[in-house]
Amino acid sequence: MIKILFFGPVADRVQTREMDIEYTDGMTLHDVTHKVGMLHPGALSIVSFIAINQEQVHDKQIALNDNDEIAFMAKFSGG
Amino acid sequence: MTDSVRIQEQDFSQDDEIAALKASSKRMGGIATFLGCARDFSEGRDVSEISFEAYGSMALVEMRKLREEAIAKFDLLDARIVHRVATVQAGDNIVFIAAGAAHRGPAFDACRWMIDELKQRVPIWKKEVTPEGESWVTQHP
Repeated sequence: MIKILFFGPVADRVQTREMDIEYTDGMTLHDVTHKVGMLHPGALSIVSFIAINQEQVHDKQIALNDNDEIAFMAKFSGG
Repeated sequence: MTDSVRIQEQDFSQDDEIAALKASSKRMGGIATFLGCARDFSEGRDVSEISFEAYGSMALVEMRKLREEAIAKFDLLDARIVHRVATVQAGDNIVFIAAGAAHRGPAFDACRWMIDELKQRVPIWKKEVTPEGESWVTQHP
């Protein structure tokens, strides 16, 4: 299972903070991003950062592992 | 003694943080601090309160990295970063950063660098509550 997390403005748009996606062999970040985009059109337009297991990633072709945690995040505004 | 890097709901004491920083080394000749606090006005609107949300586990990892990088980059003797994740009112404390070095120059530079980097790198978001409604804040300079 892949755990998907949404925070702040992104969570507001998708109207949830967490969802699970079934893991399949060979799954990439692109696959998950595509699925999230299909389920929540418009949500990805404000996503500026994606992290896998608390580490920011930039390559959408990166392979995922079962039980990965993926966070979709808007621009940060702490401080 | 409390951790040098923390995310917490409750307020913090600047005196306690500075005392902890000073206790780490007697070679410290300069301490620079930054205190971020809540304003009651933003982008032309009154702000009644601000609520924060964080990706806690990642935010803590990033803040720890940031502290380590600052210590190495500016040759600090110690540094502390505390960020509140709570709903705060105007005037309330939000974030505290302290940099301790042998001399003032690196302390000032490191303090500025840490708050600038925190805003870019640490997954925390703020939502302002105004008479017109609530809105997530995009980055402030």
